[in-house]
Amino acid sequence: MEQAEPAIPPNESAQAPVPFADLVLLFTRIGLTSFGGGLSAWLYREVVGKRHWMKDDDFLGALTMSQVLPGANVINLSIYIGHRLRGGLGAAAAVSALLLPPMVVAILITIGFQRVGDIAWLHNFLEGIAAAAMGMTIAMGLRSGRRALANGRWSVGIIAAVFVAIGVLRWPLIPVVLVLSFVSLMFARGRP
Amino acid sequence: MRGNLYLQLIGVFAPLSLLSFGGGQSIIADIHKQSVDVFHWVTQAQFVDLFAISRAAPGPGALFTTLIGWHVGGWMGALVASLALFVPSSLLAYAVARVWNRHGDKPWFSQVQRALIPLASGLILAGAYAVLNASSGGVSIWLIALAAAALFSRFEKINPLPTLFVAGVAQALVQGWAWK
Repeated sequence: MEQAEPAIPPNESAQAPVPFADLVLLFTRIGLTSFGGGLSAWLYREVVGKRHWMKDDDFLGALTMSQVLPGANVINLSIYIGHRLRGGLGAAAAVSALLLPPMVVAILITIGFQRVGDIAWLHNFLEGIAAAAMGMTIAMGLRSGRRALANGRWSVGIIAAVFVAIGVLRWPLIPVVLVLSFVSLMFARGRP
Repeated sequence: MRGNLYLQLIGVFAPLSLLSFGGGQSIIADIHKQSVDVFHWVTQAQFVDLFAISRAAPGPGALFTTLIGWHVGGWMGALVASLALFVPSSLLAYAVARVWNRHGDKPWFSQVQRALIPLASGLILAGAYAVLNASSGGVSIWLIALAAAALFSRFEKINPLPTLFVAGVAQALVQGWAWK
């Protein structure tokens, strides 16, 4: 799969490449400190704002791509940033550094929770957190819905169809997504 | 038996990897169906607990999958489930990152992008609905979720942690009283 193709240089100017260790350290730190999500915003602040590793347009373009592609947005974004800065190895290092430490932490927390899992208030406490997190998700869904509406009112039909088919009727995801993305693409093509 | 479990984890999570448009949230409804109803890896209560932990813990919410793998198959299960979910979409993202600079501003790309936005939106909302529906916390769960949705929509830049904490305390208090 891997072809010997040179990595895209960090930016147009002849700037020294970002040190590999810096890349790994930054992604490790963000992975371990981002309680409650918001990882893309963390990356933006550090990579563009503080360290000037990438330009604004470049980063925002990558962010859009990450949202369009399947997979967790921040993982796709990390792959792009890592690839942009240090090629294929950089992409692998960025994703591993972002994921592995919080994976271990999450499992350790789960182990701790199982020891005290019988306590009713703790279960209720976690359910409350999950409910608020779902509120955050709903807010995200509504915001992307507004963005979809800007492209035409047909979007409401697609959103409602996906919600009813997957959320309420619990139809299998794969055929629903395949059929409705085709329908959606037909509408999107109809409106330049 | 173990090998069979790993194959099941791969069989469930690898296809979902390439269908998780709009981020990990969009496949939660299907993860719930597979891991609770089909394979019985976790009960509904465990599903909600693991989900809450993955939200409360640092790192991407997609680590939820890691926890389901860990719950049913220990550390190896965690690794297998994580790789199954992360590798396919990551390879695709890597391929796209390579060609991005060559094709990023062509019209077909923005067309595909536009077509996928309403799908992502519907999937995200369906995922939230599935999790709230699976919760055993009663009406207060829905009220907390709707209040949080209003708050996060209104103030897009606030730190979510205090809100999550207050929501946890509120639910514990309400359910504590309801119990008595």
